[in-house]
Parts: sequence; C-alpha cells; structure tokens
Amino acid sequence: MGYNFWEITDPGNSFEWMIFLTKKYLSMFLEGTWLTLYIAVLGTLLGFVLGYLIGIIQDLRINQGDFFVKRVLIRLLKLIAAVYVEIFRDTPMIVQAMIIYYGIRQMGVNMTSVVAGILVTVLNTGAYMAETVRGGIGSIDMGQREGAWAMGMSPMKTMLYIVLPQAFRNIIPEMANTFLTNLKMTSVLNVIAVQELFMAAKTVGGNYYKYFESYMVIAVIYFVLCFFFNKVFIFLERRMKGKDDYALAVEYMDNQ
Amino acid sequence: MKDAVICVQDLSKSFGNHEVLRKIDIEVRPGEIICIVGSSGSGKSTLLRCINKLESQTSGKILYHGKEIRDVQREVNEYRAKVGMVFQSFNLFNNMTVLQNCMICTRKVLHVSKEEAFDRAITHLKEVGMAPYIHAKPSQLSGGQKQRVAIARSLCMNPEVLLFDEPTSALDPEMVGEVLNVMKQLATTGLTMIIVTHEMAFARDVSTRTIFMDRGYVAEDAPPAELFSNPKNPRTREFLSRYLAG
Repeated sequence: MGYNFWEITDPGNSFEWMIFLTKKYLSMFLEGTWLTLYIAVLGTLLGFVLGYLIGIIQDLRINQGDFFVKRVLIRLLKLIAAVYVEIFRDTPMIVQAMIIYYGIRQMGVNMTSVVAGILVTVLNTGAYMAETVRGGIGSIDMGQREGAWAMGMSPMKTMLYIVLPQAFRNIIPEMANTFLTNLKMTSVLNVIAVQELFMAAKTVGGNYYKYFESYMVIAVIYFVLCFFFNKVFIFLERRMKGKDDYALAVEYMDNQ
Repeated sequence: MKDAVICVQDLSKSFGNHEVLRKIDIEVRPGEIICIVGSSGSGKSTLLRCINKLESQTSGKILYHGKEIRDVQREVNEYRAKVGMVFQSFNLFNNMTVLQNCMICTRKVLHVSKEEAFDRAITHLKEVGMAPYIHAKPSQLSGGQKQRVAIARSLCMNPEVLLFDEPTSALDPEMVGEVLNVMKQLATTGLTMIIVTHEMAFARDVSTRTIFMDRGYVAEDAPPAELFSNPKNPRTREFLSRYLAG
C-alpha cells in the first residue's frame, strides 16, 4: 500500500479535500451527526405523541346528551387543535424556529438552542402527524368501531384497542417519511445556532474556504443516515405484517 | 309492560327530511324471538340500530327494564353491554385473532379475569363450531365462519338480548345455512333475540313473533303462523306473495 487516503496531509483534488476535512474535523462532524440524530429522533417521537393526541381530539364526537361543560370543553379543544395545525402547516419551519427561539428568549426564559430546536421539530411534526393520524383513523371502516361500541366499549377504549392499532399500521410508511424529512429538516436549525451537521459543515468549510467539499461530506452523511433508516423501516414494516397462515388449534377439533 | 326487557316507545327517526321510522311501538319480552321482515328501505335496520343506540332517535324513547336509556355515553355503554349486536358485515376486529376478538370486550368492558374470558371464549366458540380457529385472523376466514365468530363474540358478553342485523345477507347461499343453524340452536336456549332478516322460512319456523315493516311503520305484528298464512295488512300480503313467487 503506497498510497493511503486517510494519511493525506496535502490534499489536491476535491475528493482528497473531503477526506482531509473529515479526518481533521472528525469530532465536529460526529457531534453534528449525533445532534442531528438526537433532535430528529426525540423531536419526531414526541411529535408523534402530539400528533396522535391532536388527531384523536379532532376525531372526538359530541353526544346530544353530554353535559354542557363537556360539550364546551370538546369544542374548545377542537378549536385549539385546528388553529395549531393550520399555523404550523402554513408557515416555514425556519421561520418558526426563529420566532420560537427569540420569542421565548424575549420573554426572559433562558432556553438553549438545542431545546428550542427540539421544540420546533416537535410542534412541526405534531401538526403534520395530526393530519396523517386523522386520515389513518378515517381509513378504518366504521364497522370496526360499531362492532366494539355495540358490546359496550367506550369510544375512548375503542380508539385505543381497535382503531389506533389498525390506523398505526396503515400510517407506518407516512411516519417513516416524516422521520426522514425531520432528519434533513434539522439542517434549518443552524439559524438558531444549533451545532448540528449543517452548522458543522458551515464552520469547517469556512476554515479552509472549501465549502463544496465540506457540504459534500455532510451530504454523504445525510444520505447514509436516511438510506439506513429507510431500510430499517422497510424491514420493520415487513415484520409487522404478520404471518400469512395460522395453526389450527387441534386440541379443540373434537367434541364439537 | 313492566316485564318487557326492551320497550320501544313512539320512536321516530328522520335523516334530514326523510322519515325513516314513524312512531314505532314495540315491546320485547324475555325469551321472545322476534323477526323483523320487510322490503329494503322500510326502516328495519335503522330500527335495530336505534335499539342499540348506534343511531339516536329523532323522538321517542327506548326503555330497558322500564328505564329510559338517555343519550349519555355511560348509560349507553352499560346498556350495550347487555344488548349485543351482530352485523351484516361481521365487524370482527381485523387487528386481532379470533380468540382476541372474543376476549377483548369481556376483558376491557366487563373486567373479568383472563382465565374467565378465555373459558367463555372457548365455550361459545365451541357452540358455533369455531374453536379450532382461535389463532386465525378474520381475513383468513370465510364469511360464514366470520359471522359465527361474531355471534360467539357477542355471546361472551352474556347478553340479555341479542340483535341481528341481516346476519346472512352478505353470505353466499352455502354459508347462509351454517349461520342460520347456529341461530336456530341459540333460539332454543331462551336468549331473547331480535332478528332483521330476509330469510322468510327462518322467520316462519324460528320466530315467536314476526313484525312486518313498511315505509317506516310497523304494518303488522303477529305470531308467524298468523302473519305468514293469514296476513291482515294488504301490504304484507303483497310483500309475501312477491317473496313466495320470486
């Protein structure tokens, strides 16, 4: 081996520069990757929880016989949910990040940029997931609920045991999509000084005036991450499909 | 009046301007097997859905043991646990196996123990001949098998009354027989049943009382022997003659 890419000290072409920068700023890129993953995973998971909550609220129904307070409360919740979803779906995430970060700072609360970044991701994901969940719930045949209701199951338990498990399975591809989007969308959080991948590339590129090579490095990292997670999700989806056959319970075959 | 299990009083239901049920009065006594027949659109299914509170009536009342069931979720849930329903489209839970289908409501609504829920499920699945299929998913069963599981699932709740909404209408002729046989067997156990059906022979042979509905009214309410051989209402006569001819 006369030539080792990893040992380059005097990079010539762009490829060598990419290797050189990666090696020199390895800890920075690794930290950026870690932070990107951390914000994307945590933000997406919490966002899913929020999205499911909002989706369920949007599906609530009011009975004629319900008490006044309950009816008002449900209406109010629905209104808040609708306003929230509209606002976050109709504004860019990069603007939301600025408004939330600086808004909260102006209110005198000292919030780190990472926490603000996670908050923005959660709120953004929640708004989109709410719509996805609503669609997922709507895709489940009404008969599934009526079957449960007709046996005295409350609408909430019906949602929990019958509707959501089926809706969840239907929207797995959409949830995977949302996660991959978030993984890439964390890059906008550099505007509020989160030290994620994009910020790392910006800093590294600036040191040597090698922006093209620096961004190429993180492009590769983003690609590998997304490619990997995509494959994982496809694998999980297949696993969740379950078996196509079933075993006859032979112990109950006789005495019929 | 007092010994009626379910009492439908002056019940009307309209969807917008369309009146589906008009001033229905029916009393259901314990052990009765009531078949409701009539042409499509006469309001049979809507009546049954009103009895189970899946549709709320426009006016009138549903009484259960003399007590009105109001449109309050809690009361409705408790009432439904006592009055089961079997649907035309089976409505088995697609995310669960046959066994889970039969156990979920006894576990989560009646809060019985796991062992008790399992025993009930197996007992009733045996009754309908579906016990060997406990590990199957609904999508792996035929229509007749699904409906038999649905009946077993309802029985697990130990209902006082069981409502059947055209239980054989979605089945091909070969499977109709297996479901009707299960229902005939149930009829001998003393369970109170209200059955909306197009199976005239079944209504004639099994019911203790047959109700003919026409355009939202109860046109005739009589024991099957009377209704089928000597109908009083001209509409009943017309309907039956068409059925027997076609």
